[in-house]
Amino acid sequence: MRRLVLTAALLALASGCQKSEEKATPPPLDGQLEPVPNPHTNDNYEPLPDPEAQGGSVGRAPRRLTVSQLDAAILNAVGRRWVTPDGRDGIDVRASSLGRADFALVSSENTEPNLVFAKFLEDGARYVCLEQSKAEIAQADPALRTLSRTLPGKWDDLRKLTDAQVREFLVYNSTRFWGSPLTGDELTKWVGLFTQAATRVETLAGTTKKRDQVLALVCIAMLTDPRFITY
Amino acid sequence: MKKNNRDENFLPERRTFLKAAAGFMGSTLLGGIPFRAFAQAAELAPADRCFVFVYFSGGWDQLLAFDPRDPDEFTADRASETKILPGYNLINDSRFSSRPILPDERSGAGRPNIDFGPAVGERLASHYDLMTVVRGINMNTLGHEVGYRYFLTGKLPIGSAARGSSTATEIVGQMKPRVPIASISYNVESYNDRYGGYANALRVSRRDDLLLTLRPSAASQQLDSEIEKQLVDFRGQPINCEQAAYGTRGVGTTYSNSRDQMQQVLSQGLEKSFQFQDTTNPEMEAVRTRYGLATTGSIDNEAGRAATVATALKKGIAQCVTINLTGGLDTHFGTQLTHASNQRRGFDALASLVDDLRASPHPSGGNFMDHTTIMVFSEFARTPLINASGGRDHHLCSSALLMGAGIKHNYVFGKSGDIGMSPGTFDLRTGAADPNGSNIFPEHVIATVLASAGLDYSITRVDPLRPILA
Repeated sequence: MRRLVLTAALLALASGCQKSEEKATPPPLDGQLEPVPNPHTNDNYEPLPDPEAQGGSVGRAPRRLTVSQLDAAILNAVGRRWVTPDGRDGIDVRASSLGRADFALVSSENTEPNLVFAKFLEDGARYVCLEQSKAEIAQADPALRTLSRTLPGKWDDLRKLTDAQVREFLVYNSTRFWGSPLTGDELTKWVGLFTQAATRVETLAGTTKKRDQVLALVCIAMLTDPRFITY
Repeated sequence: MKKNNRDENFLPERRTFLKAAAGFMGSTLLGGIPFRAFAQAAELAPADRCFVFVYFSGGWDQLLAFDPRDPDEFTADRASETKILPGYNLINDSRFSSRPILPDERSGAGRPNIDFGPAVGERLASHYDLMTVVRGINMNTLGHEVGYRYFLTGKLPIGSAARGSSTATEIVGQMKPRVPIASISYNVESYNDRYGGYANALRVSRRDDLLLTLRPSAASQQLDSEIEKQLVDFRGQPINCEQAAYGTRGVGTTYSNSRDQMQQVLSQGLEKSFQFQDTTNPEMEAVRTRYGLATTGSIDNEAGRAATVATALKKGIAQCVTINLTGGLDTHFGTQLTHASNQRRGFDALASLVDDLRASPHPSGGNFMDHTTIMVFSEFARTPLINASGGRDHHLCSSALLMGAGIKHNYVFGKSGDIGMSPGTFDLRTGAADPNGSNIFPEHVIATVLASAGLDYSITRVDPLRPILA
């Protein structure tokens, strides 16, 4: 009996001392979508409902960002705040018309993406994207850039970028702005937009060529896309 | 009770419609923006029927406004009996009469049947021939937000959350006006629970935001013209089924519609119409003179707001305007003069608006007041007795003013009680006091406004006050 108990204890001890087979999670890369392994790789999860069964849509209804969320999202995505010509924060100045409650007359945030919201977002997007693009064209170190981090250290004629570089640029920025990368036909459409603009700026007179406007164009288009303002 | 909607305003000319349709089809096929064609085809023209909803923020004193009492009858000595103290003698300012105002008879309009409190002033009171005053309205609440939302929607809120659509939304939702901005909400909430994005109000909290919304982005924020076109064309591209399924759906659709509306509004240069301080434009000088606006400094005051309303209607920019005209009325403390002065600023601005609309011919004939219905309201009234701090607290029984098209003129409907100004009961079919009758509620007033334009008022679940209808 004693021998049996001893054997069992040794076995338990041996199994407890076995080295774990779990692999260490590698540090996330810049722009990586899934820093932790996807738990839904086995067959032990419920698939998303059939879109046909719920009016052609998947998941819960999206909501518009609140004013504070929008402020933080613009700063995180573009790396710059919207500042009005008189030096005030563009979001704060227009917060009540954008929908923020003042708790005097209005006690609940209005998150309707109405005409006023669309116009102010367009104004804000143009400001932050143009300013950031101008700053980035002068920045030689890609690590210090926000929008053009995937572009080479020094870039001039954007038509010279390979198709893979353009796609990498767009996938990086779409992940940055929306949390989901561009793929398939849609990515091809965005490549077309980039290429068109890159071609256009090279036809412009002058030495500067306004190449920053290509970055600004992509930035404005992504910032004013419905995927940026919803979650 | 439910009526069929009749869209009398929506009568597109054949040529305009064909032009817009051709533009839409062409631009869709060729990848342009559809609304560009609409913007070019649309010519600004005032709506045949306009509406203005004027909100006095904070809860107004009805003794000073539309439900005055004779100070000789309701004296301080009898206050313990009547529970009413007009307090006109406490105002002590030459601008305010110490008695209710009975305006002078207007030529051809008959003798005035409406008396007004001292804060209304002679200027607005002189338009008695366009007015109906509804007295003795039971607001059912003493909460600011609840009363305010109750009168905006005609439905008693759940808690403080509004139910249903704003009345302005209901109107433009049913009428589908051919104006660039169907409805403007100026520092007032707006709700839309059953209509498409076309009925959403342009909701701004101040004048600068309105101008900024109507103004194209600054030149320094423009891309190269060809790149701008590429951006516009890119945004107009259709999306596939997978994108639609995983996309932003309702919010995204509303946002896309708002962006299209933005393109249309920006293409029409509407901002210039509201540049009242432009000294190079003689038209603006006339506006400044009429409303007493300065060429410098802020004009985001009562007069400036009234001028904004008039411009939006007269230029055919909007069909409905809901505006928070004046505030500072929640005077639990302080003097009667403070409250009366704050009310007067609002009523003077309203008088300027009515003067302007009355003097402006409408393209369909008559003047703008013949085509405009104005409703003036507040969330509730103030107590008929003065509290220990010299102010007045919240009171249930309020009044509303209706003016202009579709309603009877020089008429008073309802009455508040002579003891404590309590809400009365009436036979709502005749307006006669009836102990077995009903209270007047905000939904009755809203139903009346809708019915005055032949619109479906079934959402209010009550009948309109038929004696008021013209």
